[in-house]
Amino acid sequence: MTEAILQVQDLHKSYGKTEAVRGISFDILPGEIFSLLGPNGAGKTTTISMLSCLLAPTKGDALIDGHSIRNGAAQVKGVIGVVPQEIALYPDISARENLHFWGRMYGMGGGALRKRAEELLDIVGLADRTKDKVETFSGGMKRRLNIAVGLLHQPKILYMDEPTVGIDPQSRRRILDTVIELNRGGLTVLYTTHYMEEAAELSSRIGIVDHGELIALGSQAELTHLVGESDTLQISLEADGYDSAKLLDAVQKVKGVQRATLEDGQLLVQAQGAHAALGEIVARINKAGARLLDLKVDEPNLEAVFLHLTGRALRD
Amino acid sequence: MKALYIAWKDTQRRFSDWKALAGMLAAPLLISALIGLAFGNLTSGETPITDIALAVVNHDEGELGQVYTDVLHSDDLAELLAPEEMDDLEAALQRIRDGELRAVVYIPHGFSEALFDGVQGSDFGSHAEVQVHTDPAANISPFIVRSIVEQVSNGLSSALLAGQVSALQAAEYADLLQERMAGLGEAIAAQLSQENFDTRTSRLSLNVVQTGESGPAFDPYSFFVPGMAVFFLMFSVFDGSRSILQENTRGTLPRLMTTPTPHSQIILGKMLGTFLTGLLQFALLVLASSLLFGVAWGSSPAGVALIMVLTVFAASGLGALLTSAARNENQAGIIVSAVSLTFGALGGSFFPASNLSGIVDLASRLTINRWAMEGFTKLTIGRAGFNDILPEAGILAAIGLITFVLAVIGFQRRFVR
Ligand SMILES: Nc1ncnc2c1ncn2[C@@H]1O[C@H](COP(=O)(O)OP(=O)(O)OP(=O)(O)O)[C@@H](O)[C@H]1O
Ligand SMILES: [Mg+2]
Repeated sequence: MTEAILQVQDLHKSYGKTEAVRGISFDILPGEIFSLLGPNGAGKTTTISMLSCLLAPTKGDALIDGHSIRNGAAQVKGVIGVVPQEIALYPDISARENLHFWGRMYGMGGGALRKRAEELLDIVGLADRTKDKVETFSGGMKRRLNIAVGLLHQPKILYMDEPTVGIDPQSRRRILDTVIELNRGGLTVLYTTHYMEEAAELSSRIGIVDHGELIALGSQAELTHLVGESDTLQISLEADGYDSAKLLDAVQKVKGVQRATLEDGQLLVQAQGAHAALGEIVARINKAGARLLDLKVDEPNLEAVFLHLTGRALRD
Repeated sequence: MKALYIAWKDTQRRFSDWKALAGMLAAPLLISALIGLAFGNLTSGETPITDIALAVVNHDEGELGQVYTDVLHSDDLAELLAPEEMDDLEAALQRIRDGELRAVVYIPHGFSEALFDGVQGSDFGSHAEVQVHTDPAANISPFIVRSIVEQVSNGLSSALLAGQVSALQAAEYADLLQERMAGLGEAIAAQLSQENFDTRTSRLSLNVVQTGESGPAFDPYSFFVPGMAVFFLMFSVFDGSRSILQENTRGTLPRLMTTPTPHSQIILGKMLGTFLTGLLQFALLVLASSLLFGVAWGSSPAGVALIMVLTVFAASGLGALLTSAARNENQAGIIVSAVSLTFGALGGSFFPASNLSGIVDLASRLTINRWAMEGFTKLTIGRAGFNDILPEAGILAAIGLITFVLAVIGFQRRFVR
């Protein structure tokens, strides 16, 4: 078996009384894209911060390339690349100047740094904006430069904390493609997101976090297997005009239905043999006086897994 | 080494920010120019200076001492001077210290006699002296009073030497006074024509001894340019110190801490950045002011450089300390604005602090501006040498060191988790 490049052992972090991370453990193998999937406030950023030696864990440890985050911070920082959730760049200097400055901070310099900076500007598709100040960039362009900075020193493992938040689908696609491309080149990636599609597309393995705990861990196939044979019905209803508590109750009583949630007209139903239950569910919706707008039957997915494990929907 | 890159990055960013540059360079130069223009009016006859309070203490029993009293009381000078006569020299000097008088003209006992003795003997004139005591805090009035007394003395000695009142020598400061001095020659001549000593055979010299702080030509720029430079230095250095908090909230400080750069280097780099920015700002102000206004920064470039470096050092140390204690960027902004304004007012950036007394004076001595200004005015106005400014340099260095160390400790506690 290959040696893990990152081993997380029972990490805890409390902010005063808030327990942001409550005992997380997992390993990442070289060449993997490992995703931490979880809703807002799950503890993803806190975990990444501890693994970046930015925050001291309250309890537990992690080994990165054999170095402990507790007493080997200097070595750890040499092998990790960090792409923070917030864009951390200097807006009043150019893209190239940003890369040159951050390169210096990684101990690079001279021709090697200049060459690497141009290479990265090319990789993230900013080669035509190198001299422009970062403050003139679109959100997507800033995010791309934010990633480039984390790659400067050819890290062994790259942490990406929700790198696609708040940008247009095109930029998002571009970033996902870049991650895939980099991974093909051998880069190990620790990726956090609350979009299950991203985790599903990118990752070899996924850890689902909720309330500071890792509630499930495995490949997508392994995780969806947890849900069993059940499918997920996604039903869009007109937002009002009916008693939603009553409707939910009625839907939950349909034979085969395991779980159901209803929020803002979005009815999510997990059911064994969903197609069989479908007719009855639609009948009860009509009876409740709700107008049906859209209906979709999903094969088991991560969304369903989260619903299955927590009884809540994974969305922002 | 990485600290230097951080410092240089901050300096470059600041010097490419037009708004920052306006505050750092344009504002102090502009204000200095306006003040200079206001004082420039002095030479065009529209002097804002009137009624200089002074006392004449005439202990001379002869007639020559009376000449000074009469000239100082003459109609020509009535608007400019507000003289009064006093008997007790000590009491008069105390009134200078109390800030009631700007100058005391003292004609000692036996003045006339000493002059005449001097004419008759060979040891002429060595004991005849008029003393002008001036308020060390005042800038212009001592020069005016001294100038008038000098002219009277010149007139007296020319009269005694050559038997006539020659065309008055252009006094060094005459152009400060111009029209007011125009009538002075006649006043002195009128006084002297009433005296009837045999001037043809008289030969004597006469000393004008003045006490108190003074120097050669008073140039308002020499005071106000350093004042404004120090004031705006504090402002921009303090403002620059806040950038570490800004970097913290905008995520670049945490990101720096994920790079293999020791935390001490990061903190040092940030502080060095404000220091370097301030130093460049001040150096540019010195350069620009000597080119634009012809400010003479004194005959000791090493002295100016030393006070400059240490002033910037102390300012960046204090700025960092205040920042490290502030809760957030906004609070830091309020604190540093308040401190720089208070320091400017107390420390003599706007008016000389040396006429302060009591608790206010004590408070003034706690400001960086005070010591910077004492150092600079010693150099610019007092034409002092390198050794003369060492006490000020020492105090500034101490302020800088203490605040710097405390700030480093504060930042370590705050940002290193
Ligand atoms: N500095 C802090 N002080 C106190 N509580 C904090 C702090 N930072 C985070 N928390 C709390 O810790 C928990 C986990 O936060 P964290 O930022 O790690 O979540 P996240 O999974 O990254 O969420 P998001 O998807 O919104 O980025 C939250 O409840 C948050 O309120
Ligand atoms: Mg987060």
